[in-house]
Amino acid sequence: MKKRGGGSNLLSFLLLGAILISVWLAMFQVDRQWAYIRDAQQKLDAQTRDIAEIRRRLNQGRVAAAPAESAVPEGDQRGFARAARATARDDYARGDWMVQLFGDTPQRLTPTISTDSYAVDVQQLVLDTLITRDPETLEWLPLVAESWRVSDDGLTYRFRIRPGVRFSDGEPLTADDVAFTYRFIMDQRIATPRYRAFYSRVSGVTVEGDEVVFRFDEPYYGALEIAGTLPILAEHFYGRYLESVEQAEVYNNATGLLLGSGPYKLADPVNWTPGDLIELVRNDRYWGPVQPSFDRVIWKIISNDAAALTEFKNGDLDRYQARPLEYRELTADEALMERVQHYEYFDARGGYFYIAWNQRRGGEPTWFADPRVREAMTYLSDRQRIADEIFLGFAQPALGPFNPLGEQHNEALELRPYDPARARALLAQAGFEDRDGDGIVESPDGEPFRFTLNYPAGSDDYKRMILLLKDLFVAGGVVLEPEPTDWPLILEAVDNKSFDAITLGWTSGFEVDLYQFFHSSQNGPGGDNFVSYANPELDALIDAARMELDEPTRMAMWHEAERLIWEDQPYTFLFRRARLDFFDGRIANIQRVRAGLNWPGLWRMPTEWYVPASRQQH
Amino acid sequence: MTTYVLRRLLLMLPTLFGISVLVFAVMAMAPGGVGANLLSRTGDMRPEERQAMIAYYNARYGLDQPMPVQYLRWLNNISPLGFETLPGGGRGEFGFKTPDLGTSFVKNRPVLDLIAEALPITLLLNLLTIPLVFAGSIVMGVYTARFRGQAMDVWIGTANLALWSVPAIWMGVLLIGFLASEQYLKWFPTSGLSSLGSESWTFLPERTADGWQRGYLLDALWHLVLPVVCLTYSGFAFLTKLTRSSVLENLQADYARTARAKGLADRVVLWRHVFRNSLLPLLTVAATILPGLLIGSVIVESIFSIDGMGRLVVEAVQLRDRETVLSVTLLTGLLTLASYLIVDVCYAVADPRVSYE
Repeated sequence: MKKRGGGSNLLSFLLLGAILISVWLAMFQVDRQWAYIRDAQQKLDAQTRDIAEIRRRLNQGRVAAAPAESAVPEGDQRGFARAARATARDDYARGDWMVQLFGDTPQRLTPTISTDSYAVDVQQLVLDTLITRDPETLEWLPLVAESWRVSDDGLTYRFRIRPGVRFSDGEPLTADDVAFTYRFIMDQRIATPRYRAFYSRVSGVTVEGDEVVFRFDEPYYGALEIAGTLPILAEHFYGRYLESVEQAEVYNNATGLLLGSGPYKLADPVNWTPGDLIELVRNDRYWGPVQPSFDRVIWKIISNDAAALTEFKNGDLDRYQARPLEYRELTADEALMERVQHYEYFDARGGYFYIAWNQRRGGEPTWFADPRVREAMTYLSDRQRIADEIFLGFAQPALGPFNPLGEQHNEALELRPYDPARARALLAQAGFEDRDGDGIVESPDGEPFRFTLNYPAGSDDYKRMILLLKDLFVAGGVVLEPEPTDWPLILEAVDNKSFDAITLGWTSGFEVDLYQFFHSSQNGPGGDNFVSYANPELDALIDAARMELDEPTRMAMWHEAERLIWEDQPYTFLFRRARLDFFDGRIANIQRVRAGLNWPGLWRMPTEWYVPASRQQH
Repeated sequence: MTTYVLRRLLLMLPTLFGISVLVFAVMAMAPGGVGANLLSRTGDMRPEERQAMIAYYNARYGLDQPMPVQYLRWLNNISPLGFETLPGGGRGEFGFKTPDLGTSFVKNRPVLDLIAEALPITLLLNLLTIPLVFAGSIVMGVYTARFRGQAMDVWIGTANLALWSVPAIWMGVLLIGFLASEQYLKWFPTSGLSSLGSESWTFLPERTADGWQRGYLLDALWHLVLPVVCLTYSGFAFLTKLTRSSVLENLQADYARTARAKGLADRVVLWRHVFRNSLLPLLTVAATILPGLLIGSVIVESIFSIDGMGRLVVEAVQLRDRETVLSVTLLTGLLTLASYLIVDVCYAVADPRVSYE
């Protein structure tokens, strides 16, 4: 049997492999071309519809020589004032792309069923809400609603829909769409339990002419936000998914069904799947008086920090959020600093980190049930040093649950300093003294004061902070045993209340409802008062504040509530972190505002950033 | 031979069953529970939503039922023969049906979709990497054996060992830092599998008004260079040594001496006689190729931001995403068993002394 040598066999295998791979790649390419053709087809369809509409109006003789502005919906346009000021700047230009970063692939962009925060970033440029907030004053401004009224009992909210608002496919947005969105979310067949729980406070939504009316069963200070920030879905687009169980399942499995009336849109509102480029294009039919500035907003998915930083330095990424150490190193790089701009700021919605002291474990009160012990722990936690040394000064010590940038915070409260002597005195009052001279305080029964502090494993910052705390606590005669814990186990410990102390962070909002964290009714399953904290005075105050619709009165109540918490120290509040953002030098008009930066956050607003014509690169 | 293959095929069923029971039990007994994690992944969930999510998942996946019941439910779903599951969650008629791998708790999407997205990417990387590793190692192995003890043998051996000792995570960062950064050499892109805007390019390079457009094929290959280098470099050491020892053994065998004695050229002895007989140990290693095609490298995928199987599986394990872990385990198990069978059959073909009759 005569065969060719192994070497040439190998070569032919390699050749075969190469051919297979290029066939494979070619198939990918054909797919992409199909998508491209489909996009073009959709644009063509939209244009055909527009032309038909124009022709129809022409035939009816309905086109009047009106000034161009009249195409813009009338009514209160305060929501656009900031964006309009941006367009009045000398170098304002439309065009160019904005390329941002996601650390992971969002699993779906479909609204109401998406679960990651990345999807929210995309959706808020696509879906409009009834009202929005001014990023500087934080007051509510009309957006899709041109005005709204609240009934005297605070149970009915009427929003008048602005005429002339259109979805990105040209269909008008009406009050029916808003009512439909509520119906859609509340439909049991749609897999959106999170949204349903959030909107369960609303007892009904009805349409009366061009008004949409939200009814609530009981007054709640957050009712305006609940009703006003409902992302408006198009009935003509999403309506078909309520027709049958099978259709609802199609929706529940859809990854990229996203269509709205916002300034940007998905080029293909139906077929996005994870792995595709996340790219929003300008909504050319945007109804607002100010047109969006960027042609495209793109998110690149880069999971590795070093790679993301390299991309940013190469100029392929327009925004990079840095960690403290990186921030310090990058700002020292002069060549880079000439090309980029950087901002360090605190966000009015920024959450806080804390140590929670468990007051009941296994039905028994723990040592931390004594407020003096908790106060001693706070005196031992040197929060200024944590902010300065662990976070290099890019964090501020926290003393309560309310953000100092918001209205809820009580300015009269002072941060407890690091004071081991005070801590020892408080511990002695509570009966903990060093009886055997080993430097560790003992309980009246002679048990040394040691406890386990659970913290999320895997975070370097946490680890360094906990080790610093361990050193500081020894000065007070207390032994802190750090226990890095996996996330599922942390949740389990929280649910079963099987921990001594735990350190975590809460995300926050413009106005924080204390009910879920500190109301004594919330220490059962489902509540987040997992430290079993109870203070009847605070309970009454929280209940009253939640029902109080008058803002100054309510804020006074929150101030008092924060003072009670400050006295009781159910948590030792640790710090709030600063955001450290780098931007490419092209992006103009980035401003620090009270809400953070003037880019849409968790509320909707027209984009104010742009790239001057001379610096556009895409 | 046919009976042997048939017997092996039937034996695969209990093995797979055992694998699935084991994995299911491990997942079920892991502290924290299967469903615990999905409830606040983003960390911004309000408590009332959390309760709603628990109730919803319990109703939809029966997470509140005892483990054996949950296991049987899962087994019924993946088996082609069993009770149909109705859209509402009820039980339909008994009969043939399409196997359902279930829905990922964490990502809230069908596992089949997740695999269908990740697998082609991993396949592409592995189809490039594995032939490269094998071709390189075989050539190096044969030559180091041929020139045993000489400078080339020492150098190749040392270099391979050195490469093998470099952790991929470090190598990846170095490659990006030096070969993809504007500060040094910007030869390659840092991440992803294609450039922004490349969807409108042609497949092959073309000349446009503003110069050469590299085209989709070259763009994709250009993006693949660093990940493939990162996946390849450490693989040479082991296979090279294996080939070398096997070739050495055969070079000293009687038949090799006879071949040389009858006047055959060195090259012919080496490649036609010795090399072919040294293939058997390589074949054993090749048994891992088929399941290996499916397994991505989580490190390389994370560094270069590629959404392949490695990240899918590791994330699923970390977040206790039961359905994903079970499905991938089942698939890998199936492929491993199948490739062992294929290799056993190949032995019989390659070595006439082996027979299963």
